[in-house]
Amino acid sequence: MTVPLSALRACFEGAVPATIATCAADGTPNVAKLSHVHFVDDRHVALSYQFFNKTRENLLHRRRATVEVIDPASAALYHLHLEYLRTETEGPLFEYMKARLAAIASHTGMSKVFRLLGADLFRVLRVEAMPGDALLQPSPPADLLAGLRACVVALARCTDLAQLLEVTLTGLAQHWDVHHSMLLMLDPDQRRLYTVASRGYPESGVGSEVRVGEGIVGVAAGARTPIRIGYVVQEYRYSQATRRHFADSADGGVLETEIPFPGLADAGSQLAVPLLNGDRLLGVLYVESPVEERFTYQDEDAFVVLASHLALAIDGLARAADQACELPPASVQGAIRPVAPATPPATRSTAPSAAGTAGGTIQIRHFPHDHSLFVDNEYLIKGVAGAICWKLLREHAESGRADFTNRELRLDTSLRLPEVTDNLDARLILLQRRLAERCPLLAIEKTGRGRFRLIVSRPLQLVEVPA
Amino acid sequence: MVTAPSSSDCPLLDQARVVFLLGPVSISLASHDAAGVPSLARAFGCRVSEDRREVVALVPTRTAESLLRDLVAGAPIAVVFSRPKTHETLQLKAPAARLGPLGPTDPQHMRASGNAFAAELIALGYSAAFSHALVAPSKEDAVAVAFFPTLLFDQTPGPRAGRRLEPLP
Repeated sequence: MTVPLSALRACFEGAVPATIATCAADGTPNVAKLSHVHFVDDRHVALSYQFFNKTRENLLHRRRATVEVIDPASAALYHLHLEYLRTETEGPLFEYMKARLAAIASHTGMSKVFRLLGADLFRVLRVEAMPGDALLQPSPPADLLAGLRACVVALARCTDLAQLLEVTLTGLAQHWDVHHSMLLMLDPDQRRLYTVASRGYPESGVGSEVRVGEGIVGVAAGARTPIRIGYVVQEYRYSQATRRHFADSADGGVLETEIPFPGLADAGSQLAVPLLNGDRLLGVLYVESPVEERFTYQDEDAFVVLASHLALAIDGLARAADQACELPPASVQGAIRPVAPATPPATRSTAPSAAGTAGGTIQIRHFPHDHSLFVDNEYLIKGVAGAICWKLLREHAESGRADFTNRELRLDTSLRLPEVTDNLDARLILLQRRLAERCPLLAIEKTGRGRFRLIVSRPLQLVEVPA
Repeated sequence: MVTAPSSSDCPLLDQARVVFLLGPVSISLASHDAAGVPSLARAFGCRVSEDRREVVALVPTRTAESLLRDLVAGAPIAVVFSRPKTHETLQLKAPAARLGPLGPTDPQHMRASGNAFAAELIALGYSAAFSHALVAPSKEDAVAVAFFPTLLFDQTPGPRAGRRLEPLP
């Protein structure tokens, strides 16, 4: 009996070892166990090349293999008749297999033994279902397609990025029973991702950063491929990757390390899906679960489709926000209040814009070299979001202005916002959430498309700290 | 061709290796057809002769059509034995195999081997339903596949995987 390869994807989860038979040039057969057969598409699979062994020597000579795979739920046996095509040593397939191999190695206590040298790609000539006593498959726990439809409908209704992020993560919990999730956006330097929203953690971790190429999130971003891991695996714990490399990296100071990651300490299952619009990477949607093997191939399919809708929606809203017309010249009621420069010269004071809030003056210090901001010695934020915040506070102190537009931030050369690649709305959401969590006396409130208001509820003393 | 037996008079299998082959291991056999296309099947249990020179694998016929056809045609054989709990793995090779009917105690031995393997899987966390379904063919019609191993390889994952093992004096 011949069956389509996609119908047996559960066999490629790595839960049950496979067996491979090959034949040497002199006709001697060889049979070996395999930790991992990777589903590529309906006509291709890949095997991990870890050592140069007899199997590999035979494949290079004869190019034919027969592989037995086993469905981990039903125990159904299949024989795949394969033809070796080529070996890939970089790129999405290689990175995905490397991550999954590390997971399987870690799960089976063989981390030191398994190392991926290449991804051997095979054409599947025939799939043979072996006669046996396979168990009936239980139906999937959640209807993925119905959930996907509900999520996509909800995304289409969003009118700004903040809403989009909220609706996405809420939808995952509501429709797919996924309760630990986060969204990270790509920094325009293309080397870092910053967390802009999360759900299901005690601390939101908004503003925390991951380096591209490190941890499951960074590798998914770098290779532009989804990565799904079903076991606890140390190598791909994105939260540790950043910490570890901070100390020994030349650009360590650039990376946001003050804000801890919100992730689960020992995630049993992880899935990172890049947000791609065409070839352009916008960010990564990351979900995890304490349960091992929580996410299946079907989940991965659904997440990839959702991520693609999300990427299009993010781009669409970002364009709309940037194109939105500018406010008429500032006419902010009661906010314009000339402020006498305070001493020392680098220090400015600003009065609260909302009346009736008690409390003394708060000091905000700005370090220009990395735009880090400290509120009464408590770290707030740095980088682009820090620069934006400092600009708003300065203008508020100098002219009393409270209303701003995305466009003027975009045009402000001192912020050095890249024209196309930066999502300004995402920076503002990050800043807004960080303020709400760490500095409630300041707030950013959206007042319309491409417009927002700075709310200051305590007198401020602004201090520029010389480099 | 599978190369000639080792010059030593000692059998390839020492007593410890025999004990391993008879333990809770997965057993997979491979051969190939005239075009060099590999065939593959599972066995449930094996016997080893008193002098440790002959191995007989018990192979359910329903799931081994291609392999048995290739062996009948005189193709060489390779058999891998792997214990899930330890990953310990041995591969035996022989230039030919002989097919015959099961002996009187073989059906019972196959069932016992299937059950022992299922118990090993269950102890490792596989579900009982999965484990028993996987060994279900151990209760079916089978043939005895007998061969005299001439080559023995250590295939336990690691840097020494693939190492040819010599007879131990």
